[in-house]
Amino acid sequence: MTFGKFVRDRWLGFIVYVTVLIMIFIFCRAYRVLNQAIIIIELLYTAAFFVPFLWDYFRKKIFYDKLIAQIDGLDKKYLICEMMQEPSFYEGQVLCGILEEGNKSMAEHVAEYRKQSNDFREYIETWVHEVKIPVASMRLMCHNYPEIGEKVIEQLKLVDDDVNNVLFYARSENAHKDYMIKEVTLQKMFGNVAIANRVALQLMDASLKTEGLNQVVLTDNKWMEFILGQLMSNSMKYRSLDRPLEISVYAKKVENAIELHFMDNGIGIAAADISRVWDKTFTGENGRNGAKSTGMGLYIVKNLCIQLGHGIRIISEKGKYTDVVITFVNNDFYKM
Amino acid sequence: MQKLVIVEDDQTLREELGILLTNAGYEVYSIEEFAGVAKQLVKVNADLVLLDINLPGENGEAILQEFRKESETPVIMLTSRTGEMDEVLSMSYGADDYITKPYNPTILLLRISAVLKRGQKNIQVCKYKDVEVSTIKGTLTRGNSEQVLTKNEMLIFNLLLEHEGEIVSRDELMTTLWDNDEFLNDNALSVNISRLRNKLADLGVSEAIETRKKQGYRLR
Repeated sequence: MTFGKFVRDRWLGFIVYVTVLIMIFIFCRAYRVLNQAIIIIELLYTAAFFVPFLWDYFRKKIFYDKLIAQIDGLDKKYLICEMMQEPSFYEGQVLCGILEEGNKSMAEHVAEYRKQSNDFREYIETWVHEVKIPVASMRLMCHNYPEIGEKVIEQLKLVDDDVNNVLFYARSENAHKDYMIKEVTLQKMFGNVAIANRVALQLMDASLKTEGLNQVVLTDNKWMEFILGQLMSNSMKYRSLDRPLEISVYAKKVENAIELHFMDNGIGIAAADISRVWDKTFTGENGRNGAKSTGMGLYIVKNLCIQLGHGIRIISEKGKYTDVVITFVNNDFYKM
Repeated sequence: MQKLVIVEDDQTLREELGILLTNAGYEVYSIEEFAGVAKQLVKVNADLVLLDINLPGENGEAILQEFRKESETPVIMLTSRTGEMDEVLSMSYGADDYITKPYNPTILLLRISAVLKRGQKNIQVCKYKDVEVSTIKGTLTRGNSEQVLTKNEMLIFNLLLEHEGEIVSRDELMTTLWDNDEFLNDNALSVNISRLRNKLADLGVSEAIETRKKQGYRLR
């Protein structure tokens, strides 16, 4: 709050003040009042004008300056109502009341949306589990009646993958922390992902190489398997047609952390796109040119990694390779 | 014949599971009334229980807890839930394995036979004709001659031996290998089979592994 602006805001008061000052002077002159008396009267009048004016200025300045400092320091600005002290002046109190009411209504509004979003997420979870039952039945039918054919198995795999995407998207977007961090070997998780994708990998004559996966990391098994599954499906989707797909998955220790590399010899990512691959619905050059992409996969992966507390980065050279690196910090805090 | 019980409320899934297990040579019993499941399970007295988690009325985990008070029979949990919490909970209640839907049938059968084997006395040395098979040493011995098998060759030979006289598909072989973290491709499998054949021939057992076109392999 600056004094200049405060004064400018009260321009009418000042015009009246100056006008009255002049009028007093003219009247006093007309009635031949002594000059000394005129000066005293004018001074008294000035005091009567300025004392309440300054008092008003200072108490408002103190209040607003404090409020501004508070809101600047706040991470969540909508919490300002909780921080605010009831002002001593009337208009401030009115404003405060209004703010509080607005805030309360907003809180109710937000709570309603939160409930809706939670309900929706719960519904998605239930729905996903419902869908998996007929998928499981069909998967068994394919095995029980081989004449149905392997093509159906492939399609069922796609259905299941897409269904899982929805599930993990709902999980990653929500503040719900329904994961569980424990010690798992990388080998076990990667093995599950590999075997789930075995048929597709073999059909494209891909080769898998692993190294150092016997290391133990702290993570959520299921979430990590989903993440690895996504990376696997990306490697298959964006493989180069000039050479057979090679995926090399290896872990190595760096100081205080374990780095898991998921590297393929696919078409890579254009340098211009690489910083944006984590963005929601970003498809980039690869999405436009070849395989259909939704731009959701890596976004979900990133989100899950953030929630699990893992670092993730991507290194790639167009036309040569893509290497996704997940960093598991050896965090004692997780150990129970 | 080993007897398995299926506890699954979805009828189609239950029937298909039944067909799968019957074809694999198990005797199958299905629970169709979902009240007092634990008591029914005790009464059936099977070799292994396949238990779904989402059941009408009682929850699978609760059933498992109750069942464990009376019986040590192995239990595999089958579920469409994909939360780590469910798995940890089930395992802590005494489940022997935990498999999520939609399961790969070959893997399911592998896991079932693994759990059943765990219950039996571990026979580490078994025989194929007059060849002694030692899984621990990874060797085949016949008379005075011995052949050392690689991990892959051993896995292949063991699976064929388990199904001696029956056809084992390439898919089953592959699934077993991949399940043991050996990510072979088609070519590598053929190479391993032919190496195994050579080693058997060196022991004097030639033409033990027969190729059935488009079906798989058979140990004669």
